[in-house]
Amino acid sequence: MGSMLGDWPSCDPHNFSKLRRADPSIPSRMMPATYHRTHSRTLPPPDQVITTEAKNILLRHIYRSAEEENDLRPKRAATKHLIPEHGCKQPRATSY
Amino acid sequence: MFRRNNIASRIFQRQIYTPAPGTSVYCARRFYENLVPSCTIYDVECPDQSFRKFTDDGQYLISFSRNQQDLVVYRPTWLSFSCKEEDCDAHDLPPKAKRFESFFTHLYSVSLASCNGNELICKDFFLYVESNQYGIIATSTPSIHDAAANGAAIQGVPYVEKLTFHLIRLEDGVILDVKVFHNDFVNLTHNMGVFLYDDLLAIASLRNQTIHILQIRDSGNLVDVRAIGAFCREDDELFLNSNAQCIAFPDKSKLHQLPGNNVQNGTHLSQPNQEDSLLSGIKQRLLSFIFQGISNEEKDPALVQFLDRQHLLIKFGSVDGGVSRNADQHTAFLAVYNMETTEIVAFYQNSAEELYLLFERFCDHFHTASKNSVSMNFVSSHSNNIHALEQIRSVKSKASSQFMKKMLGSLPYSCQSLSPSPYFDQSLFRFDEKLISASDRPRQSTDHPIKFILRRQPCSLKFKIKLGPEAGNADGRTKKIASFLFHPFLPLALSIQQTLFLQQPSVVNIHFRG
Repeated sequence: MGSMLGDWPSCDPHNFSKLRRADPSIPSRMMPATYHRTHSRTLPPPDQVITTEAKNILLRHIYRSAEEENDLRPKRAATKHLIPEHGCKQPRATSY
Repeated sequence: MFRRNNIASRIFQRQIYTPAPGTSVYCARRFYENLVPSCTIYDVECPDQSFRKFTDDGQYLISFSRNQQDLVVYRPTWLSFSCKEEDCDAHDLPPKAKRFESFFTHLYSVSLASCNGNELICKDFFLYVESNQYGIIATSTPSIHDAAANGAAIQGVPYVEKLTFHLIRLEDGVILDVKVFHNDFVNLTHNMGVFLYDDLLAIASLRNQTIHILQIRDSGNLVDVRAIGAFCREDDELFLNSNAQCIAFPDKSKLHQLPGNNVQNGTHLSQPNQEDSLLSGIKQRLLSFIFQGISNEEKDPALVQFLDRQHLLIKFGSVDGGVSRNADQHTAFLAVYNMETTEIVAFYQNSAEELYLLFERFCDHFHTASKNSVSMNFVSSHSNNIHALEQIRSVKSKASSQFMKKMLGSLPYSCQSLSPSPYFDQSLFRFDEKLISASDRPRQSTDHPIKFILRRQPCSLKFKIKLGPEAGNADGRTKKIASFLFHPFLPLALSIQQTLFLQQPSVVNIHFRG
């Protein structure tokens, strides 16, 4: 007698046939067998730690769009020496 | 969840059905469709005071005496009238029950403003710290206009000689701590210049262009955390002062030792005083972030709010724009500032579409509420309610750019300015937002009753808020304003009608579930 679920693959094809009873009104005390995984494709990395993101979603969006803008417009790095090489030169005053 | 409208069958259904995950507050709120403040006591005899608001946990009604010198605190209670006759519904309330004292118990009055010091309580300002039941109230001397600028202060902004923030334990009215500002100005209208987030208080000083961050300790102390303005990091002042000697005698080798404030190309530094071209720390941060061509006007930090414990949203505007929220004439900038790294993370103009889209999607994250406050996390906004969203989208489709600027004009958000009452939940009731809303700002009074209509079928009228008896007022020409105070969870509301320009006492009505 096939299982109620048809011929789907399972660890042990007799699992579901053990549960199915001819008379559904009789309560069944059979516990289904525990599922055991047959592959390891979806295992999490062994060092994975799940925590809550400290920044809320609004700030995440703001930071992300700021980073995208920075990627589009790379800023010039400031020169290491703000004073010129020649000691006699003065920085020019600009009016703001 | 509830298929029927009858309250008894809803209670039976509640016994059987579990609400969908995460919706228990909204499901419990549906009972407010059955419990509405449908009865009104008009022009109730009450003390002549200005009632400010119910605290967000519903424990206290805050009001100020008419002379603006005393804080008066009431406890909201309920009627204790009982009817022994058979057909009680037909009976109206007896006159002795129709009193202010039936609903409110006077707890205490505290004098905050001293008589001889000509200080007055700022009656538009009140903040509540729900975790400890502390209240923050401000008193100030009269504001002085046309003041010449001195030192770090800017011209054109009025100032007050003394502004005091009082931290009061509302349980018994004890003043726990005060914070005093001298010769300063903070815009306190409807809590605009001050923002409370958990235990952190941000105060935007317009005159000195500084944002003060204070912490409210459980012990009741107001502790200075930092002041952002002239200096961004705590040790900037120390660093600058220690280098003052070097800078006074121009020594070029010391120029690069100035703190993290970016030195503008070629700014000539001679004396380290504020009148020079050395801009204050926060403004240097802003100017180094934006390009020079965008704005030639100097912008000052005007309003501030917390986005979380590290990030501030600061509005930079011109002096006049900072004092009011009228965004039409003035360009303003909104910046997201990280207090820990002292960096400006992002910067927007007050008409930026990008910012508007963030505001439309994540409005609730701008209305930052303390995690201790359960009720404030469920206020209807266009980010959590489809009806509110449809409403603003329909307005936006008609006048897009003006609308966006107007909506962004409400940023930074004013702290604790929305009522958490379930009657303002847009999924439960539909009402005219021009006449009444969760915002506590007074609005023009109307003779017509304000209707609250059920959102769900059969979309019937549930209750009306009327400001006066049916006959209306004899003199239709006097301009009146109305304000509404809704209790956070009881079916109880006060409506206060005031006549402008006349010194008449205000008319107070009590709306309750009879």
